[in-house]
Amino acid sequence: MRFLLEHPAPRGLDDLVRSAQAAHAAGLDGVLVTEWRQLPGALVTAAAVAARVDEVLVAAEVELGARHPVEIAEEATVADLSSGGRLVLVARPAGSAPERYAESLDVIRHALAARPFRFEGRHWRVPANLPENVDQPEERVRVTPAPAQPRLEIWGAGEGRAVALERALGHLADAADDPAALARAFAAADASPASIGAPRGRRERWRSAADLLERLRQGRARFGQDWACVAAPAEAAPEIGSLVRPRIQLHRLTPGLEEFWDEQRPWERSRR
Amino acid sequence: MATSDRVGLSLWTMQSTAARPGLWRALYRRLGEDAQLAERLGFHAVWLGEHRVWYDGWCPAPLQALAHVAGKTSTIHLGTAMFLVPQHDPVAAARSIATLDHLSGSRVELGTGLGYRDAEFDALGLRRDRRGRLMDAGLDMMEAVWRGDHGDPPPVRRPAPRIWMGGMADRAIARAAGRGYGLMLPQTLSVEEYRRIAGDYRGRAARPGPVGALREVWVSDDPATCARHRERVGLHLTEEAGSWWALKGRFGFEARDQVDRQVARGVGQIAAGSAEQVAAALREVLDAGVDYLALRPVFEFVEQAELHEQLHRIADEVVPLLESAGLQ
Repeated sequence: MRFLLEHPAPRGLDDLVRSAQAAHAAGLDGVLVTEWRQLPGALVTAAAVAARVDEVLVAAEVELGARHPVEIAEEATVADLSSGGRLVLVARPAGSAPERYAESLDVIRHALAARPFRFEGRHWRVPANLPENVDQPEERVRVTPAPAQPRLEIWGAGEGRAVALERALGHLADAADDPAALARAFAAADASPASIGAPRGRRERWRSAADLLERLRQGRARFGQDWACVAAPAEAAPEIGSLVRPRIQLHRLTPGLEEFWDEQRPWERSRR
Repeated sequence: MATSDRVGLSLWTMQSTAARPGLWRALYRRLGEDAQLAERLGFHAVWLGEHRVWYDGWCPAPLQALAHVAGKTSTIHLGTAMFLVPQHDPVAAARSIATLDHLSGSRVELGTGLGYRDAEFDALGLRRDRRGRLMDAGLDMMEAVWRGDHGDPPPVRRPAPRIWMGGMADRAIARAAGRGYGLMLPQTLSVEEYRRIAGDYRGRAARPGPVGALREVWVSDDPATCARHRERVGLHLTEEAGSWWALKGRFGFEARDQVDRQVARGVGQIAAGSAEQVAAALREVLDAGVDYLALRPVFEFVEQAELHEQLHRIADEVVPLLESAGLQ
């Protein structure tokens, strides 16, 4: 199980940097940034956070469907390159254009591959070959440069679950999603070898370490959850990193180990 | 207006060319390092360009690259020269710019340009012949977003980040004058052209903003080194013009003689020489009515150590000469 920390309500870059530093210090894999009201440009925010905090992954959640997917792919590429290959692109269907989600995702996947492509869908046509653009017509377009990562991680989110799973992409479920529905969706994906190892995450609300641990155990048992994106303040990071994370890594722990941890309480030590 | 408000550096493009291939992730790391040095040396801004879908990987998303700079620095301004407004979704662009404005403590200098390559427009499904209309509609929409018409909170800098119109065409000057934007002129103009255009702009604007100019510079006491730099810039511009420009119905390398003439004209405007010579050339530009210089020693073929030496020499030797000549 891997962990992302999601700041519940950042006021600015410093809040996000503190959150990312807390994640780093607690051994969590990274942070998730999204389109907040004051900071609506998630891929701008992601690049700035990555510039301030080394080594953590930065997942950026963007709406997909309304904007041209080539533009989003370019922004993700530059955020990935400037962060040294630490971007995860989380794509949620735009409320205004859910029917464009699947095609948008496919255009982005073409665009992030280091080769020329042509895409002719119902909603997007790339290159468009508009009759007015006659100076240098191209059959195919190569989005440049390529991202730092050999395969930039793209996860679906929200209502995009079926589309993401069809494509063997990762998926970040919402905290409120029905666990039975998740179990059914991921069980179907289990039948496909292409889906082996595709990330299965869920957003989690922070109430207490015990509550989170219980949810993650259930998530793993019911649908194979292997990523947790926890909306929690930076102060919760030591408990997530020292109390929750070690207990959810393996199928089972040596008897007595949890009790030993409970005596030592390292999450309190690391907080001091 | 202090020197630190009047002298910026350009033009980071993160190109990995045939002449000087580079690893893109290293180029983006270098950008942050270069900006940190530029900030320490007191320069006003770093300016980044934008192009897309080309083999050299020219940075297609300057706002994301500037966000990296914002995270690595604390005071230097973050400029685009130019952000190609017609090639972006204006609502998303306005929100990304507002995000950068918020995250950086209002350090955004938004230079805006039309873009000109067919292939760039076509990749995005846009008509190049509509770029003027797209520009006006895009700027209107961005201003509306910053005004709150779409429910967004206002940017930190009110009413909006500082905007510069790039270009020298009559329409660009009219847009800058009409909208109260600054004007950022290209590096290929003569002193007389700067004087004429700056005067024209100020005559047409109710409340003129600053007039800036991109200017290529190279400081060296060795004439052979300066000649070599001119030659390398010439080759760089030849590749760009040969590949991208449309000249009287023929395209780039098909019209090699025209490309060569244009390139020679551009190379002729490089301020290369001793600190005194460079300062004298820049002073002429300032005396012609230009308020702001975005000096360009940055090219992909300039190694980082060489670039950093240039930044030191510009800051330590050239800028003081501009100040002593009355630049406040």
